[in-house]
Amino acid sequence: MMRRCIFTLMGCLLVLSSPPLHAADPLTVYTVNYPLQYFTQRIAGDHARVIFPAPADVDPAFWMPDRKTIGDYQQADLVVLNGEAYAGWVSKVSLPRLRQVDTSKAFKDGFIMVKDTVTHSHGPAGEHSHTGTAFTIWLDFYQAAQQAEAIAEALSGKLPEHKSEFEKNFAALHKDLMGLDLEIQRTVAKRPRQLLFASHPIYHYLARRYELHIEDLVWEPDVMPDDQQWQQLRLAQERFPAEWMLWEKQPLPAIAQQLDSMGIGIAVFDPCANRPASGDFLSVMHDNIANIKQVFAN
Amino acid sequence: MIDSFYIAWKYLAFSKARSVTLVACITLIAVLPLALEIILDESEHQLVERAEHTPLLVGARGSALDLVMNSLYFADEVPGRISLASADAITATDLAFAIPLYVRFRARGFPIVGTTLDYFDFRRLRLAAGTPFGLLGECVIGASVASELGLQPGDSLLSSPETVFDLAGVYPLKMRVAGVLAPTHSADDLAVLVDVKTAWVIEGLVHGHEDVARSRDSSVIIERSESNVIANAKLMQYTEITEANIEAFHLHGDPTGYPLTAVIALPHDDKAAAILRGRYQNTDSGYQIVPPADVIDTLMTNIFRIRNVLDAVILFVGLATLMALVLVFALSLRLRQREIDTIFRLGCSRLTIAQLLGAEIVIIAAFSAVLCLLILAVVAHYDQQLVRALFI
Repeated sequence: MMRRCIFTLMGCLLVLSSPPLHAADPLTVYTVNYPLQYFTQRIAGDHARVIFPAPADVDPAFWMPDRKTIGDYQQADLVVLNGEAYAGWVSKVSLPRLRQVDTSKAFKDGFIMVKDTVTHSHGPAGEHSHTGTAFTIWLDFYQAAQQAEAIAEALSGKLPEHKSEFEKNFAALHKDLMGLDLEIQRTVAKRPRQLLFASHPIYHYLARRYELHIEDLVWEPDVMPDDQQWQQLRLAQERFPAEWMLWEKQPLPAIAQQLDSMGIGIAVFDPCANRPASGDFLSVMHDNIANIKQVFAN
Repeated sequence: MIDSFYIAWKYLAFSKARSVTLVACITLIAVLPLALEIILDESEHQLVERAEHTPLLVGARGSALDLVMNSLYFADEVPGRISLASADAITATDLAFAIPLYVRFRARGFPIVGTTLDYFDFRRLRLAAGTPFGLLGECVIGASVASELGLQPGDSLLSSPETVFDLAGVYPLKMRVAGVLAPTHSADDLAVLVDVKTAWVIEGLVHGHEDVARSRDSSVIIERSESNVIANAKLMQYTEITEANIEAFHLHGDPTGYPLTAVIALPHDDKAAAILRGRYQNTDSGYQIVPPADVIDTLMTNIFRIRNVLDAVILFVGLATLMALVLVFALSLRLRQREIDTIFRLGCSRLTIAQLLGAEIVIIAAFSAVLCLLILAVVAHYDQQLVRALFI
């Protein structure tokens, strides 16, 4: 009896300690990148206010929020994480552990380790390297669906009365993601031996899932590579005769021109880690697939 | 009647030493058992309440009392270490929530409690000033720590080295005070709460230093290859975490192997608690799971045994003192026999003489009562501190 009282009291304390929720109050959910914001909003619908507070011009993987934003994350009902390998700031701040959702926990054994010791910089986040665990896990759409499933479970845990609605929304999102998955597989199947350069080492999971043959470079779309980098590409092309290069966004015309002179075409595959200027995650991914269709055309 | 009290007062004032001795004796007899009662009640309240609000504790196999005292009351005796993986394992069971605790280091005599923000929710801790710890290297201090050290948000607090002889050990960490807790009248008042990762910084498992890959100081680098750089102990580590150098802080190895002293397990219900306890029954597991209330019950039983002995001792001492007081009065009457005879010859009745002596006893008793109440008021005011100093 005594113990029952304690558990009841503990339950009450945990409920009371969270920000008060009324039936009409939507959850406040913070995410660490745009794909997770998109997945969460699709599943939660009107039952959550899903916020991804990073500025539009930063790479969320290397962004560091200010104190106020960290405080906002701390106050959230749910903090949706991409996994231990992503957004290094998470390991340097204090977030409530019981309100975190690690969306990649189910497949963390399948993370890819990257051995890239080149430090580089782009955007306002400063210098960084991609050494460590590869983190653009949502570019494997099967993994993206698993992330969405983790989000749906967490939302159902928070608002069990809306569980059926979350499950329905998740099923729709799952169908969309698996549609993308199938579309890429069909696209790649037309020329399965196609070789590709990647301008940035961010396509590891895409390559693994869809069996792409990719060699990574560390080039920026808005910075003209120096002579040494061009020379390295020529040498690489001798042993890896790729005719296409994947880019996060359209590179400078001068870069495109020089690549063209080397017989290398450009295909933009935007990882969409941050909010797109137009459209949403799904439309950007459809555009990406449309872009690579030319690469794998017979 | 008033005359009798006036004459009795004058007599007691004249015989100061005797009067003070009598007041002191009576006060002591009354104060001792009552003060002990207050302190024991408070200790029971503090120990039992906190234990009953903590459903289960998971720690390394060993003394359950050490585990509970360290985890609940931040006592000095540090239990064996477990790893962060054990907290993850509890969460993975879907039977309970897990709140990690790492209570090992101290800052100016106060325990540093490494935990997560969930601990604030769990203990219903409110901030009197400032914010919760946000960045690595920030702390939230208890109300007593703030008042005793005169600290407020924005100030700094240095962690204490574990041993002054460990010259090659980890540098103390200068922590920024992010917030001050409102008084809780519990062990949290005396705690310096930090994120568990900050506790690992204090231990040196997480640290920040200049980028050795770019260092041009040849006296720092022992060996440099394309894939690895080995630096020596001359490499300066940051002793304060700021927004400017936080990027340089990094973990070494797998964080799931990083140490904890305990995990507070919050089972979802009775059944989950029973299943969870069953999973730790294996004696080879290296872990133990204890309901703190059971451990504290055992402790309180022992305390009450001591209390009974103390009560008996006080009873006997009290009886002996009372008999001594009666003797003092009887001897005093014999010594004052000539004085009493004189009062009688002056025309006072035996009743008046009895009134005079009675008035003396009443005045002494009244003084003792006032003194007793004052002492008990002081004890009651400082009972929490006394309990922490004596028992916790």
